[in-house]
Amino acid sequence: MTTPLLLGLLAGAILSGTSLLYATLGETIVERSGIVNLGLEGLLLVGASVGFAVAAISGNPWLGLVAAAAAGALVNLVFGWLVVTRKSNQLAGGLAMMFFGFGASALIGAPHVGAVIRGLPKWRPAWLADVSWVQTTTLFKYDVLTWIAVPVAVLVWWVLFRTRWGLGLRAVGENPNAAFASGRDPAVFQYQALCLGGVLGGLGGAHLSLSLTGTWAEYMTAGRGFIAIALVIFSKWDPLRVIVGTLVFGGAEALELQLQARGSLMSPFLLEMFPYLLTIAVLLAWGGSRRLAAPASLGRTFYGSS
Amino acid sequence: MKERVRFAACALMLLAGLAVRPSAAQEPRLVIGAVYVGSVNDYGYNRSFHDALTQVARDLPDVKLLEAENVPESAEAESVMEGLVQQGAKLVIPTSFGYKDAARKVAKRHRDVAFEFAGDGEPESNFGVFFGQTQRAMYPMGVAAGKLTKTNKLGFVIGIPIGYSLGNVNAFQMGAASVNPKVQTIVVVTGGWADKAKEAAAANALLDQGCDVISMHVDSPATIIRTAEERGAMSIGFQSIEARALAPKGWITGLGFNWAPFFTETAKKVIAGRFRGEAIYQGLGQMVVVAPFGDSVPADVRAAVTKSAEDVRKGFNPFTGPLKDNRGGLALPPGASVGVDQMGSMNWYVEGVVGKVR
Repeated sequence: MTTPLLLGLLAGAILSGTSLLYATLGETIVERSGIVNLGLEGLLLVGASVGFAVAAISGNPWLGLVAAAAAGALVNLVFGWLVVTRKSNQLAGGLAMMFFGFGASALIGAPHVGAVIRGLPKWRPAWLADVSWVQTTTLFKYDVLTWIAVPVAVLVWWVLFRTRWGLGLRAVGENPNAAFASGRDPAVFQYQALCLGGVLGGLGGAHLSLSLTGTWAEYMTAGRGFIAIALVIFSKWDPLRVIVGTLVFGGAEALELQLQARGSLMSPFLLEMFPYLLTIAVLLAWGGSRRLAAPASLGRTFYGSS
Repeated sequence: MKERVRFAACALMLLAGLAVRPSAAQEPRLVIGAVYVGSVNDYGYNRSFHDALTQVARDLPDVKLLEAENVPESAEAESVMEGLVQQGAKLVIPTSFGYKDAARKVAKRHRDVAFEFAGDGEPESNFGVFFGQTQRAMYPMGVAAGKLTKTNKLGFVIGIPIGYSLGNVNAFQMGAASVNPKVQTIVVVTGGWADKAKEAAAANALLDQGCDVISMHVDSPATIIRTAEERGAMSIGFQSIEARALAPKGWITGLGFNWAPFFTETAKKVIAGRFRGEAIYQGLGQMVVVAPFGDSVPADVRAAVTKSAEDVRKGFNPFTGPLKDNRGGLALPPGASVGVDQMGSMNWYVEGVVGKVR
């Protein structure tokens, strides 16, 4: 009744990759508008804690999900006020938002640590339930966030690259002066991008607390926000590549645990480094034109056209 | 993060001050100050202390309890303990191993305040050390798992492979093998004591490989127990016996801490002015207790576990040679044994454990 390594890897990659996918997509949209949000880790934590708290109070995980998305958008709008309206430094503002997220999530989550919640319901299609190699794994038994993860990524790609709004957004990220001259207000686009990115980040955080673990613990993201920021670069700001990137990283974490569970005689300390070694290796192998792929005005504050 | 903790500590001191001052007319006979590294609602380690101290404060007349949660193992711990002493605490209980240096510093400054530190080291006149020995008590847990497994594969998630964790795994496997010679215990290390998402992934990986009973040595067993329950597997808990609420179907039993009798005794000594720091390590039946069985556990398994727990309580030491390690070597020659004081330096897995120490 053991699961073949590849199936176990795939199952693990999808489970750990889901929250990363949403977080990375959110950051991709934000960076496409020319803003770097280093506060993503805090954003995920706020999503996870608000989602959990609302689910614990109301008994309804769906309400938790909605609240997490709203809280994510709110956090990013505050960040937007800092860096778009007040034009403060994006890196400093992002780090400030990260620490704000640490504190706020701890405060919001504290009364609910240990609460027993009803997690997001999971479905497996009936025709797959009888397949023996499916039964021994978590494959195809997913909550709504995992089921729609890939469609959401495709949707984000379509919005960014096939709509007028997406064109405007990317123009703002490449050259806000030109966008401004063509009648597009960069601030409006950046606020919209931050709002969308906040919703996606909030959902990513909520997936950790409402589905994957069913628990809330302080700093439960354990660095996943930073991994997501790295994955944006890794994926060259392309939502479709984000799918691949999150599966690769999720798969690397799954490999570490699956190898141990299969009785591999590799050192657990070596295995722990594996996801990060793999990230470095792929970055090296896929190197090259990353600087060209980045939005040209990424991280630069737009002071208005003069 | 330090800012947040400092803020929390200030808020706590303020609240504690508000709480204590109005009742100054009727001074409590004893104020106990407890310092926790996590939240007291973790279904785990911190909750075990909170439950015990709450009980002491309720049972003994005029005893007040001040608690500081989420205190990091840094210089912050020192200022939090100092704050508790300023609030009138005459018995301070630093419950995390990493508070060692901070606790000793504060204890040196306040010789009139008794300290009971959950860890190890030399006791001083006003500084006692204590801990519950779980390793031998894991043997009866293994008996339960060995009897109930159908796949003969047991899963064990540990945070960091320190000697105490290895001891837990080894006793678990030996207990299981004593009733089921075909059984294996597969170990997965997550690399941290509280990475929840990775704990869920680790439990899933073990279940993918056919393990049908999961146990753990992490700060809070909640995530792993929930994951096992969701996939229809059985679980054996650790740190707090309350975790059984998370697994109505798959809960077998578990180990928890019961500090209340020890703290009651200590509080009485402090009130009577008879406190002297000692090193107190207690195992099954004293500081360590077996949790209630899950409803689905059959009577013969309950009997076997109870019998085995009784043996351990009477002094049976599973870490007695000859014992083979899981690479075929002799870990412990005939006649040799590992005492509770050497458990921290254990660096091998017993035969039947699937895993690598380093």
